[in-house]
Amino acid sequence: MPKFSRVAIANRGEVAVRIIKACEELGLETVLLHSEADINSRAFRMATHKVCIGPAATAESYLNIEANIQGAIAMGAQAVHPGFGFLSENADFAGRCEQAGLTFIGPSAEAIRTLGDKVSCKALAKKAGLPLVPGYEGEDQTVQTLLKEVEIIGLPVIVKAAAGGGGRGMKLIKQMSEAVEAIESAQREAKSAFGSEKVFLEKYLDRAKHIEFQIFGDSTGKVMHLFDRECSVQRRHQKIIEEATSPSLTEDLRRKMGEVAVTLGTLGKYKGAGTVEFLLQDGKFYLLEVNTRLQVEHPVTEEVLGVDLVKMQLLTAQEKFVWNDNEIRIPRGHSIECRIYAENSYMGGVPSTGLLGTVHWPEGPRRRYEFGFEKGDTITSHYDPMIAKAIVWDESRPRAIEKMIRVLKDSTVFGVHTNIPYLIEILSHPEFIDGTMTTRFIEKNFADGLKSKHVEADRKKLSQEIYKKFIASGAGAGAAGSSQTTTENSPWLSHWRGI
Amino acid sequence: MKTIDNMQVEKVGQTLWIKSGSETWSYDIIDLSSEGQRRKKSNTASPDVIVAPMPGKITKVFVKAGDAVTVGQALLVMEAMKMEYTLKSDLETTVETVTGKINDQVQVGAVLVKLVKVESI
Repeated sequence: MPKFSRVAIANRGEVAVRIIKACEELGLETVLLHSEADINSRAFRMATHKVCIGPAATAESYLNIEANIQGAIAMGAQAVHPGFGFLSENADFAGRCEQAGLTFIGPSAEAIRTLGDKVSCKALAKKAGLPLVPGYEGEDQTVQTLLKEVEIIGLPVIVKAAAGGGGRGMKLIKQMSEAVEAIESAQREAKSAFGSEKVFLEKYLDRAKHIEFQIFGDSTGKVMHLFDRECSVQRRHQKIIEEATSPSLTEDLRRKMGEVAVTLGTLGKYKGAGTVEFLLQDGKFYLLEVNTRLQVEHPVTEEVLGVDLVKMQLLTAQEKFVWNDNEIRIPRGHSIECRIYAENSYMGGVPSTGLLGTVHWPEGPRRRYEFGFEKGDTITSHYDPMIAKAIVWDESRPRAIEKMIRVLKDSTVFGVHTNIPYLIEILSHPEFIDGTMTTRFIEKNFADGLKSKHVEADRKKLSQEIYKKFIASGAGAGAAGSSQTTTENSPWLSHWRGI
Repeated sequence: MKTIDNMQVEKVGQTLWIKSGSETWSYDIIDLSSEGQRRKKSNTASPDVIVAPMPGKITKVFVKAGDAVTVGQALLVMEAMKMEYTLKSDLETTVETVTGKINDQVQVGAVLVKLVKVESI
């Protein structure tokens, strides 16, 4: 039985804090494997031990397998939690951990390879007869065959370069009359961009919802699901708002999709927390991919089910977590998560960086905040712009939406701009309120980002008056001299952080 | 943090942050003081000077001095927080100088490209 008492965390920000808290509750010590840029962060202040594994650039620190392994070993850790992003879905990292005698908190390297790789996951699903997006991936690449397949799949169809990615060599066919040109042009682009003119066809889902199922494999290999989340509000494939459970599923669909998720997890010999993603359109669901790790939006599942997925991960890695057959899991109420990004919503979402001033998350029943940075910390341009997550729970979806809007309005973040006004607009949109939003919701309703409603000259005048009063109140004098201090040694900082 | 006229007000570095109701905004202190108002005039943003809108890394440079550019043409690409941001020309003119180089880590407001001024009609 793998025993460990010290867990290394190969991550940063709010998820590192989340893992530290779960470890603390289980009486485990932590080692934060951090970059030079992250010494002013909550995770750094909270971890039992910490070790710098490299400079700010992710390739040299958070993505550097050997640096993480060496750091964990040097600090006497016996296990590694990869969080999400960075090395969390890297099978080589999982394998390297085991090789070095470190317990990787997650599925086996083999399970990551089988389910995490899109091609092999699809092959496995196809063999098991699980529903995939209808398509054609055959060797016969003649235009006649491809045309025939387009008709079989049914319009609209998307032509994709088999070797491609990033939108290149991708053509949409909306009418049969465009089909020949679209196929030939995709083949040409594929040839010039990737050196192979091979293309595949896929049904284009133009009004799909993103629904995912949380799965969890216990120490014995038994896989169960922990119901669904909906994450249709996305911008450039980046999720913004997630909720549990989905407002779009009938009990029949929920049962069927749950069964598919569990089947896939069981086939992939899955251990620990994972997510099976689906697209849902016109009452039909299609398997999208499997994320072989903890998910950013895991808290909404925790809130409706009353579970702690990170503790479950740690216990599973210690072979102490076994599903109880008699356990009845029924989601209750509704939970919503908003991702708070450091960006300026009024300027097309351009990243916003800098020294944080006051950061205040309004307390209240069933409100939860996951955050990695506080007053005095600096948000840099090296990493992901997500600085916090706000999560609420309430008896019903409408009440949860109302609560979230209240929470966002009462939150204060000074020092960087955030997407909070953008989130409030989305939550107030009729399509979000009635739950019919699809993955094209943002593109359809907020293509140009947010437009500011105030008159710039008036606001500036008001600000000038406030600044005069601010100076007159004596507040300006003290802080004015010490501009941009990195406050690391400031006596004020410890005071602020104590609040 | 101070509360002035029911607004939350705080100076962070050289920036004044204000929250009124659910709205948050900020101004550089220099733009709010009377001295700054005078200074600002000589330094008004103009479309012929392309500056970094955020701190980050330059990942692509599409133009060189002497190139003709049109309205909406991409001049260079910056990256910050895993996001790409394309800086475009608002003028139809030629490029005067390019100071930004690939892989440069630049601060917000850094001058990256100067375009030849176009006289208004």
